[in-house]
Amino acid sequence: MNNMPAILVLAPLLGAFFACLAAWIQKQLSYYIALAAMAVSCFAAVSVLTDVITSGTMQYRMAGWAPPMGIELRIDLLNAMVLVLISAIAFVNLVASVKNVEQEISDRAPSFYVMYLLFVVGLLGVTATGDLFNLYVLIEITSLTSYTLIALGDKDRAPLAALNYIFIGVIGASFYLLGVGYLYITTGSLNMADVAVILKGIQGSSAVLTAFILCILGVWIKMALFPLHVWLPNAYAFAPVGFARVVAPLMTKVMVYVMVRLMVTVFGLEYIFETLNLADAVVWLAVTAILAGAFTALFQKDLKKMLAYIIVCEIGYMVGGAWLGNSLGMTGAILHILNDGLMTFALFLAVGNIIYMRRQTAFSDLSGLFAAMPWTMAGFVLAGLSIIGVPPTCGFFSKWYLVLGAFEAGAYHFAAALIISSLVCAVLFFKVFEICFFEADSGAGDHNPAKVITEAPVSMLASLGLVSVAIIAAGIYAGTIVDTIILPFLQ
Amino acid sequence: MKFFGFVIVCLTGGLLLYGTMDLPDWGDPGSPASTHLSDYYIEHIVEETQVPNLVTAVLADYRGYDTMFETAVVFCAGLACFLLLRDFRPKKDRYFRHVPTGVMLHFKNPQTRLIAGNEFEHMDKDWVPSDMIIKTVCRILIPFIQIYALYVVAHGDFSPGGGFQGGVIFGSSLILMAISYNLKTLVKRVTEKFLSVFAALGVLIYVGLGVAAMLMGGHFLDYGMLAPLLPSDPGHIRALGMLGVEIGVGIAVMAVMVIIYINIVSEGRHDEGL
Repeated sequence: MNNMPAILVLAPLLGAFFACLAAWIQKQLSYYIALAAMAVSCFAAVSVLTDVITSGTMQYRMAGWAPPMGIELRIDLLNAMVLVLISAIAFVNLVASVKNVEQEISDRAPSFYVMYLLFVVGLLGVTATGDLFNLYVLIEITSLTSYTLIALGDKDRAPLAALNYIFIGVIGASFYLLGVGYLYITTGSLNMADVAVILKGIQGSSAVLTAFILCILGVWIKMALFPLHVWLPNAYAFAPVGFARVVAPLMTKVMVYVMVRLMVTVFGLEYIFETLNLADAVVWLAVTAILAGAFTALFQKDLKKMLAYIIVCEIGYMVGGAWLGNSLGMTGAILHILNDGLMTFALFLAVGNIIYMRRQTAFSDLSGLFAAMPWTMAGFVLAGLSIIGVPPTCGFFSKWYLVLGAFEAGAYHFAAALIISSLVCAVLFFKVFEICFFEADSGAGDHNPAKVITEAPVSMLASLGLVSVAIIAAGIYAGTIVDTIILPFLQ
Repeated sequence: MKFFGFVIVCLTGGLLLYGTMDLPDWGDPGSPASTHLSDYYIEHIVEETQVPNLVTAVLADYRGYDTMFETAVVFCAGLACFLLLRDFRPKKDRYFRHVPTGVMLHFKNPQTRLIAGNEFEHMDKDWVPSDMIIKTVCRILIPFIQIYALYVVAHGDFSPGGGFQGGVIFGSSLILMAISYNLKTLVKRVTEKFLSVFAALGVLIYVGLGVAAMLMGGHFLDYGMLAPLLPSDPGHIRALGMLGVEIGVGIAVMAVMVIIYINIVSEGRHDEGL
């Protein structure tokens, strides 16, 4: 029997508790345990993905009980891909962020790593599970850990940002739980596949509609879809770098995954697009999200805040794509989960390097960065171009599918929003490039005209380089990813 | 804003009411929730697990994976309190009391050492003379509360109870000690290291039992696979496995309760408080 699906979630969980115990022996040990745990998890995720591609959906029965009675992990192509993304980003980030953690929270670094591992356990568990209630329990873990880790950031502003996040996040999770409650009353089951079969027979029920609205609303709050996004910009901008780098690319993307999972597997696309008449309204909502995110980003004066609003905008892409109601749009949305995870991660890696060297990310502090940190800025430019959607970076290909999907569905407003937001992103990034490239470094330039390269440590640069390669590779192999993973999943 | 809030509340309430139209009647024995899985559980649990308490069997065996993460959530809560509240800076002002006379000394410089025998005791700023009646009653009561907590943990699979409840009772007995004496008495007996090790160890017992089952060739948390390790009736092994995880849950919950209490009342300084 293949235990890999369980190991993938359990390695970081065990790692967290061992790291907690080891911290009492030697503080450094907890970091190495965390690293080892994430390496094991990453390996298991890759092995699960290859198994799923070759031999189809994997099911793992927890405690050996058959599915509707017990809990099962059910890993098909979609979640196998997301699992690899999560574990890889979490692992690379551990390597990249060790110095940032030392700089920012040195006195409680071991606890930080324990919390970090538990956060990753939550994300992996949410993605791997095939049970609606288990999903809620794991959302609870991710939320609780992210509230804590965000509050550890900026001394003055992070606790308040985390508090806002708690208020809104708890409402989101409660909505989801309430929706699952309605589903349980009407179907008597919590297993996704089982619920899906029962729901086919009772599609007209008002309780099912209520459950659907509640679940989707809860997930939207968690993923910060406009206008439910108010918690996100501050929370992500004030979080400690070591955590912002992993929460920004992963948290919202995993929630998009949950939405896709609920739509495709639990409620079924026929129910959503044929029985209900909500799709048009949701696409309009996504259009507003894209435009609002992009234009608010235009007014930001801080790099981190700007990136946070770009995330709000990207969420609009994925929600809109998923609700277009055709296979192209859904393909674009799923591909964008992967691509946006990589691009956001690269951007935050670069921002983390800048913070490590300069402590500040306000636009006025960025002058002369190209000269001082050429490698970091090279990675930043590549990720920025990918967000704008310049081929051959991966951002182009998911946008391409989304635009094609929009035309096929006749949603020209969505296509227009995609193109306008790409232009706005171009303006945003070129504004940043201009400051970094042309404006002389005001601090060092006055007395010392010779340019000194003050680049971030090698571990950070190597991680950024790796992710940059991944961005280009995901772009070049976009066709392969769509053909081997996404299209077979959607059939 | 208030008006918008009102409209949203009305809409949500309306949605919930709309959803109830199609729900089965209250207590309807034919409803899906009481027929689909419940029948299976009621008919098979005693035979499959030998646990008379069906709720515990569902909680700790059929859905044991969920409960493991619930315990991890409890652990997270304790760790969150530590991460956010713990304050390692030494406090500036310290107070000592000369026990025989009741004279108080106030040290403003943290470096000053008081070289004196047992007649001085380190005390809280808002010190209230402790009440002999309360102290004595609590001292007698605490061991009984703790034994009752162990009873609740151990009887989880026979009667209402289990690790969460037992752990909370045990933790509250320690908190009672802090309330009736003072925080220092508690911190001296259960140190921070003790608590954090036990919080992690409790969850580790749970996960460890699951991993042990996996190493024996079964699925994760499949207690049935532990049979060769224990000299017991193989039919009863699932009940023993559940007892094991309940003990783990109890330890973790107990430790986390105390961690949360100490960090909140002393504002993270672990020196004085309620």
